[in-house]
Amino acid sequence: MTAQVERGPLRRVVIAGGGTAGWMAAAALSRLSGNGVTQIVLVESEEIGTVGVGEATIPPIKTFNAMLGIDEDEFVAATQGTFKLGIEFAGWGREGEAYLHPFGAYGADISGVKFHQIWLKLRAAGIPLPLDDFNMSATAARMGKFDRPGADPRSALSQLDYAYHFDAGLYAGFLRTYAEARGVVRHEGRIAHVRLDGESGHIAALHLDDDRVIEGDLFIDCTGFRALLIEGALGSAYEDWSHWLPCDRAVAVPCARGGPGAGPLLPYTRSTARSAGWQWRIPLQHRTGNGLVYSSRHMSEDDATATLLGNVDGEITGDPRPLRFVTGMRARPWVKNCVALGLASGFMEPLESTSIHLVQIGISKLLALLPDRSFPAHERDEYNRLTAIQWAQIRDFVILHYHANARGDSTFWRECATMPIPETLERKLALFRSTGRLFRYDDELFTDANWTAVMLGQGVMPQQHDPLADTLDQPQVRDMALRMTDAFRRTARAMPAHADFIAQHCAGRPI
Amino acid sequence: MPIERVAIIGGGLCGWLAASMLARKVPDVQIIVLSAQGEERGLGIANGGEVLLPQDIETVAATGWRGGDLLKHCSASFVLGTAMSGWRGDGMPAFVPFGEIGAPLGPVPFHQLVAVARARGHAVNIANYALGALCAQSGRFAPPRGDDASVLATLAFGLTVDTGRLRDLLRADARRQGVTEAGMWTGGADREGTTITALHTAAGDGVDTDLIVDASGADSPLAGAFEGWAQWFPFDRAITALRPARSVPPLYTDLAALADGWQAFVPLAGGVAETVVSGSAQGPDVQSFRTGRQRRAWEGNLVRIGAAAAQHDPCAGLQLHLALADAARLVALFPANRDCRAEALEYDRQWRETSDCAFDYTALRLARNGAAGPVWDALRATDLPERTQYRHDLYAGTGRVVLHDGEVFETPGWVAQFEATGILPQRADALANALPTQAITAHLGKVREAMLAGLGRLPPHATLLAEMHA
Ligand SMILES: Cc1cc2nc3c(=O)[nH]c(=O)nc-3n(C[C@H](O)[C@H](O)[C@H](O)COP(=O)(O)OP(=O)(O)OC[C@H]3O[C@@H](n4cnc5c(N)ncnc54)[C@H](O)[C@@H]3O)c2cc1C
Repeated sequence: MTAQVERGPLRRVVIAGGGTAGWMAAAALSRLSGNGVTQIVLVESEEIGTVGVGEATIPPIKTFNAMLGIDEDEFVAATQGTFKLGIEFAGWGREGEAYLHPFGAYGADISGVKFHQIWLKLRAAGIPLPLDDFNMSATAARMGKFDRPGADPRSALSQLDYAYHFDAGLYAGFLRTYAEARGVVRHEGRIAHVRLDGESGHIAALHLDDDRVIEGDLFIDCTGFRALLIEGALGSAYEDWSHWLPCDRAVAVPCARGGPGAGPLLPYTRSTARSAGWQWRIPLQHRTGNGLVYSSRHMSEDDATATLLGNVDGEITGDPRPLRFVTGMRARPWVKNCVALGLASGFMEPLESTSIHLVQIGISKLLALLPDRSFPAHERDEYNRLTAIQWAQIRDFVILHYHANARGDSTFWRECATMPIPETLERKLALFRSTGRLFRYDDELFTDANWTAVMLGQGVMPQQHDPLADTLDQPQVRDMALRMTDAFRRTARAMPAHADFIAQHCAGRPI
Repeated sequence: MPIERVAIIGGGLCGWLAASMLARKVPDVQIIVLSAQGEERGLGIANGGEVLLPQDIETVAATGWRGGDLLKHCSASFVLGTAMSGWRGDGMPAFVPFGEIGAPLGPVPFHQLVAVARARGHAVNIANYALGALCAQSGRFAPPRGDDASVLATLAFGLTVDTGRLRDLLRADARRQGVTEAGMWTGGADREGTTITALHTAAGDGVDTDLIVDASGADSPLAGAFEGWAQWFPFDRAITALRPARSVPPLYTDLAALADGWQAFVPLAGGVAETVVSGSAQGPDVQSFRTGRQRRAWEGNLVRIGAAAAQHDPCAGLQLHLALADAARLVALFPANRDCRAEALEYDRQWRETSDCAFDYTALRLARNGAAGPVWDALRATDLPERTQYRHDLYAGTGRVVLHDGEVFETPGWVAQFEATGILPQRADALANALPTQAITAHLGKVREAMLAGLGRLPPHATLLAEMHA
């Protein structure tokens, strides 16, 4: 049957680019070579280098590591990693206030009534309890503690959820070792030209500047902001979201850990609002990552650098690195026989550290919709449809942080508070303002807990709770709530300090 | 201003379902039920028996209704899926089970393994790999226990109910919760702008209301802008009957394609509900109906539920499911204030999603099957809405199942329906194709063995019934 021969499995998958996205793809796709037919190759150029600032992650990365069969301690040690229980947002709602957006759920639903509604009901009844006390990760984070969640689903500890901070360069290196050990072939060289097939318009080969030619069936564009294949060769358009997410520059600088006033090793990221953007602080084992994300319409590069350097809590150990970006996404991240991942597929403002996650879900969707050599249009369409939904959901969540602010101290923040927002977010906000109701759309990444944390944290307070919560007996609910916070607190106290946990299980080699 | 009074139009099953659920979930609100013309058609066509899907049984429990009462008072019987005959071009019957079918092999879904096995010359009948189908065939069944980690946990069951008896049960329940009745609605209403402030009753004294729930079916005088579905759902006549039956009820509903319509049997304890739907029936006991839906389900302070909002061709047996979903959605979005625009928008969004998904499922069953006859040929030649066609093409191409929010059925339910209507993937997924034949056949063998072992542990259905009614 000739048709079968034409179809057949992919013979070669070519990954262009060896940043975080490229090596994640290589590691995950290495399993394909198990069929004895598919070969995975990766091309990268050391001279061009990587962006390498993606250092904070969210909990689903544990699934990615588990899929690869990576040992957690080995991985944390190899990447100078630390544990992340959430993000502290300082000054986002208003100057001088801070809230935590922790991982994991708040409390527990009772008789089908969502926990945050119970919290609202108690609050309305004059029993205000700190929301953080109902979240295991938040309770531990406030005490600077960490432990792995227990396996017993009835224990308070099992409610803990976490992700990692790590050195992005070391992470790429770690995945490279993994992928190469599983047969991925790496080519060092600079891509000079992308050759298209005259008839189909598919990518036929990458030509390197030393005349090497790398042919393939499927090409994965991980060339970062350059987007050499998806945009350079195939012209896939970019959808610009900067009218909603106006920051378009960053400056990053590392500093030494443990400077004066640095305090203990925190198990969370800190994001501090500044006059025209925000500053991140990511604690690693061997250093602290810092950066300022800002809007170039509202702040100059010099001011940004000065603001950043004036606000780090350790000795500066590198030169400030400027970065430019436009928040938005490739309207069609899969075109012909090319799928873009990572920065080549779009840029999500790093506020909720979702970029690496977007690479991960891109890979899992690609695996679920993996084409053969006939490249049916439907697989591509479905990939693009699902990707667009997921990006837009995360976008809305990030916009919420900017929009729902009562800072009023600068043009930047005033503009954010008054700008028109996507209709999808508008509706979510209206519903939450009225009765605190939240609905999860299409397998959305962020759950009720995430939205609750940020809505309330940013000062969006429902006018009243869901009438459903009134079917519950108040004294009984209050007692349950108090027992819950008590269990979380006792559990957190018994946990090791974050730094001690790392020292005991997964300390990196001193650098 | 808070909502204090809710008027429910329609004292049929649909209306009492909403009344009882609201009374249990929002006890501080006063609820009044009005009778209305056509109220027995609140769910759609008036059937003697309807089906609660596995997920509906969870809704029933969450509402606080007792499953035991349904069994005792509503002639309820267990069902594990639908036997479909006449829907495939090759004439083969098929079984559409609730619950899982087979088991994946690593990252490769079961139906993709089947597609590869078939492409390599192995005949595979998916019904042999679904516990529900095996149980239904062999008449063995007991409801799975919550803590069962074996293959028996993959068994999902629904319940059939006698609709008249369920209405009576819910009415009694609602009245115990304080719901009152206000007699017959005349069809008239008082309005302030777009808000309905009172409904007129035959007795003369109007009923003041803050929120109106219309459960009186598709012909309600309060109907608004309408989107008709006759091009995909051309059948508009139904004849229904409820007959006694002595034998042990089968563990499945039955759906047969006829030359000009279809026929369904819903087994009940001690009876069977029969429905024939066609485009041509004549006679005094014929119900005529019109498929389609309202542009908006929630408009101002009027919420349309059940068939007052959308009427699908009932061949997928979703009438009770959809009405229950509407009532549950209303509870989840019950407005705290009379200004309920935010709730209305969200309700409509979720309702439309669910209604779209039910439409796709039904339209693919009716308009993309292999049934014989000119009526079916004409339906197959009809263009489907783009979203519906996309689902079809993705499955027919490489066996991908598209899932949206508001889906009634997950992947196995879609796969089973495609199989039952004769739509098979042209080729399998690339990951599945990379598997050696031996690995696939060994896996299929293992799954089948586990299913048969599970089946062997189940008692005959007749034994279960005897115990329950002892
Ligand atoms: C300010 C900022 C903060 C961020 N913070 C986070 C965070 O906290 N969490 C998170 O998840 N993400 C974060 N990100 C995003 C994260 O950095 C990226 O998603 C991640 O680094 C993936 O990048 P990449 O691999 O797509 O691109 P890059 O790192 O740019 O890699 C591109 C690769 O392509 C190769 N290449 C390019 N051109 C050629 C050529 N002509 N020939 C050969 N090779 C070529 C390069 O050598 C390199 O290997 C942040 C991004 C920015 C800008």
